[in-house]
Amino acid sequence: MICEINNAENKDSKENNDKLLIDVGSTYFKISTPGNIEQHFRDFNKDILDDLMHKCGKTIGGFAKDDVHIYSSANGGLTTLIIGITNTFSLKYATNIAFNSGINIIDTVLYQNIEDYSLPSDLIDVVIIVGGINSNGNIFSDSLYNYLAQLRYSNIVFVGNELDAPLIKERIENVEILPNIIDDRLHIVEEHLREYLTNLYQKDIEGKEDIKHLYDITSNQIFPTPYIVNKTLPLIDAKFSVVNPFILLDIGGATTDIHFSKDLVDENIVTENEYDRLVFKKLGVYKSKQSLIFAAQNNEFVYELLMHLKVTENIFAEQTEKSTKILMQLAIFLVLCKISHYKKAYINLKLLSINSIVLTGGITKVLTGEEIEDIISFFYKKILNSEHNPVTVLDSNYDIWTLAEKGKELCQ
Amino acid sequence: MKVVTGVVGNDIHVVANRLIELSLNARGYEVFNLGVNTYLEEFFDAVVETGAEILMISSLNGEAEGWSREVKLLKAKYKQLDDLIMMIGGNLVVGTGNAEDIVPRYKNYGFDIVCHQVDLNTGLDMLEDLIKDRELEVSNK
Repeated sequence: MICEINNAENKDSKENNDKLLIDVGSTYFKISTPGNIEQHFRDFNKDILDDLMHKCGKTIGGFAKDDVHIYSSANGGLTTLIIGITNTFSLKYATNIAFNSGINIIDTVLYQNIEDYSLPSDLIDVVIIVGGINSNGNIFSDSLYNYLAQLRYSNIVFVGNELDAPLIKERIENVEILPNIIDDRLHIVEEHLREYLTNLYQKDIEGKEDIKHLYDITSNQIFPTPYIVNKTLPLIDAKFSVVNPFILLDIGGATTDIHFSKDLVDENIVTENEYDRLVFKKLGVYKSKQSLIFAAQNNEFVYELLMHLKVTENIFAEQTEKSTKILMQLAIFLVLCKISHYKKAYINLKLLSINSIVLTGGITKVLTGEEIEDIISFFYKKILNSEHNPVTVLDSNYDIWTLAEKGKELCQ
Repeated sequence: MKVVTGVVGNDIHVVANRLIELSLNARGYEVFNLGVNTYLEEFFDAVVETGAEILMISSLNGEAEGWSREVKLLKAKYKQLDDLIMMIGGNLVVGTGNAEDIVPRYKNYGFDIVCHQVDLNTGLDMLEDLIKDRELEVSNK
């Protein structure tokens, strides 16, 4: 069954009265006024603001700076390296917080094997060091400092045990010390690191020529899009006919985001967040097209899927509307594989328990509900061996995304 | 001393595990109870994060055996767990079994103390005896 989300439009419009919401993605702009939502393909030869004003200047000119709210994932996010002492707790907790802060690009280092890791050649935006409950100290030693001495990074933060903090402060220049993200019951403490990372994202935006010009049209903070969307999720099932539990797929130009309710995960992360987010950083259909094709070619079921779709591998070389559709269908299939038991990723979700799959973003403009359902049904049969058929919900009008502003107010 | 405890794998028998936690607390241990459905890696990771000296797994009806076979292999991947006291207790086989067969088998899997159908207080006394022996060994070195 396919549903369209549109039944709360009027109510939502009243709540967002006189606000202009702009989302700057890596491929599209989306502009939402109380009465209308429009989207424009970006012109990459132009500065973002110039492009935006050229296409929507009249609309933007009608709003005061205080009433313009901008979100963006267009700068690719911060590159983050997390050094933690275990996969199950410190690395997983810090990764979870980073994802929920809107960060897309994450690498992890298990501290006990730190000497075996090769050094990233790129400049890292932020290094996070974490490990140990507060009563467990003396965890970090010279191997950490030797590794860091060879690393190129802009920011570094320690969110591990209190006993190691003084020495870390003494040995690492410009390190920020924040409260431990692991409490004494091995539970996650999110707020301090989350706030630090969202502020860092903000500074990053301000420092990027292309994006900082956007402050010419808004006096509000520019938030990372996925951070705001995650804050919006608790509102979705209250406002729309989405049946819990659900997952939200946002297949974009550069990345694919999955937002999901926590009851779909059997994990040890005890968090106040009702929803989590997972991002696949190179599974987009425009900027990451080659990477998506590579992932597809390495999936043993993809040729069967292509046959099912009545195309051949030659479709990857085409630049047609049909090839874009096929890529989007592949993206749906690949991300579902990655969150199922078939391919263990950061987290596996209980996909047989979900009642709805919500799709948002450009994909809803390209694929029909039937085409999406066809892929989802193929996935459930081939990978999960099941006839389960969750309801497919299309957010074709970006209603979910415009709830973001309301979500942000709730979280403050 | 710090103890990480829980029920391994797909075992959901929580009652004994809760009693173990209460008894350990009463004897002055600091307990980190991971509860039911805990994977082996989580046990070891919890030991690393907390700095625990003891890992105590409770099990019913042989649920632990499949997992226990991987203990040595997994523990070897951790660089600082050589001195960890590994203990398992409960009903360690499906149905009934002979402790004379079962205890050596589990010790071979990597456990220091194996309590098959031993009452809780006796098991905890065995733990305290081992701790004393180890302290003695250290002081004699």
